[in-house]
Amino acid sequence: MQAAYKRYRVIAFLLVVLMLVLADHLASPTFAFNMGDGRAQTALNQRDASACAPCGAPCPSTRK
Amino acid sequence: MSEVAASILGSTRPRSDGFRDDEFRSDRFIAGLALAGMLVVGGLVWLETAPFLVALFAVGVVLGVALYHGAFGFTAGWRNLVTKRRGAGMRAQLLLFALSSLIMIPLLGSGQPGMVGAVAPIGVSLVVGSFLFGIGMQLGGGCGSGTLFTVGAGNIRMLVTLLFFIVGAVVGSIHLPWWLDLPAVDPISLIDVAGVPGAIAIQWLGLALVMLWVNRVERRAHGEVQRGELQCSPTENGWWRTLLTGRWPFVWAILVLAVGNALTLAIGGAPWGITFAFNLWGAKALQAVGVDMSQFEFWTWDYPAMALSDSVLVNITSVMNFGLLLGAMWAAGMANRFNEASRQRPQGRPFLAAVIGGLLLGYGARLGFGCNIGALFSGLASGSLHAWVWFACAFVGSLIGIRLRPMFRLAN
Repeated sequence: MQAAYKRYRVIAFLLVVLMLVLADHLASPTFAFNMGDGRAQTALNQRDASACAPCGAPCPSTRK
Repeated sequence: MSEVAASILGSTRPRSDGFRDDEFRSDRFIAGLALAGMLVVGGLVWLETAPFLVALFAVGVVLGVALYHGAFGFTAGWRNLVTKRRGAGMRAQLLLFALSSLIMIPLLGSGQPGMVGAVAPIGVSLVVGSFLFGIGMQLGGGCGSGTLFTVGAGNIRMLVTLLFFIVGAVVGSIHLPWWLDLPAVDPISLIDVAGVPGAIAIQWLGLALVMLWVNRVERRAHGEVQRGELQCSPTENGWWRTLLTGRWPFVWAILVLAVGNALTLAIGGAPWGITFAFNLWGAKALQAVGVDMSQFEFWTWDYPAMALSDSVLVNITSVMNFGLLLGAMWAAGMANRFNEASRQRPQGRPFLAAVIGGLLLGYGARLGFGCNIGALFSGLASGSLHAWVWFACAFVGSLIGIRLRPMFRLAN
């Protein structure tokens, strides 16, 4: 049976995604911190305890 | 290679009768590529960020495998109830919510510091968002998790849905502050209202009522209720082969998804979510081409701002989504079905449905504070009242979406 996909396309797609992730990471404070920049503000625990919803939205009662 | 492994991986050893044993053959290329991807991403997370994120990445992989092998589709489950009057998929979801509530409400009620539930306000934004999401589910062909795991399994049409899901989510994030200014009330947590035992009792009562309604619909149409969701043993192959190649009985998927969400809460401090990452990826793409996202209120709030300024490898939702994609890809490779659904490229109206569905999914998910996972599954497991409102409104939207499907030449 003929394959449902082309191997090179799958590899190319995954490589593009990996490149995008790497480009984002290399420009991030976390990478800068790991490279010795102690002033870089990383956010390993990204959470806002005062938020009203998982996306970080404020509560209706606190809005004007 | 052991006999068991050979039977799973598709041995090429000649049989005594001269034929090759190719009754079943996994797609080693895809399965291997997915494993290599897991090693690369897992290794990057390990080297660059923190061990707890590696654990969450692994949880994401397992959840992706469970969603694929369990064929745990929220969208199809709802549609089967409406069009075929069959409720097994819907009951499987209700059982998942009941089990998760039993595990996660006590965890959240224990008052562990740094642990928050998926609670959200109830108002116009939630009602409109979940309603639009319900329509989008049926046009797009999947919900948040469904879109992600089918993309991982190589479905081209769902890749279109995902791309427009991201677009819709970003637009939704820009509009969300306006929607939040419309009438709404602060989150209502059943744990705060009734305590842990009371919250579980209310949840179970609500889920039991929905299940009775589902059973009634099925019994009226068919005279009996099929109990496929309670089956524990594999139907065709042995346990070991079914575990690695599917299709899993619903019970297996329910157990893995419930434990996976509880682990996400225990390790990451918040229940499982999916769609925030779509927001983030879209916003990062815009930022990369020069758009200043800080001009939009959503991206000035603490959590979105933190996520936007740092690596996606530090964002829990993104890391888990990467795991889910690769887990589903591995599972599809093991089942020898990678890209199987995409032999015919989406064209014309089905393509348009994927575009519109994706936009509605994204916009709706942002206004409704998440998708079937973040708002419904995690919301119910957190004892949040908003999840019930989300459930009802998304179901009504789904009814409309089902009616619209034939217009886009999508089968019901």
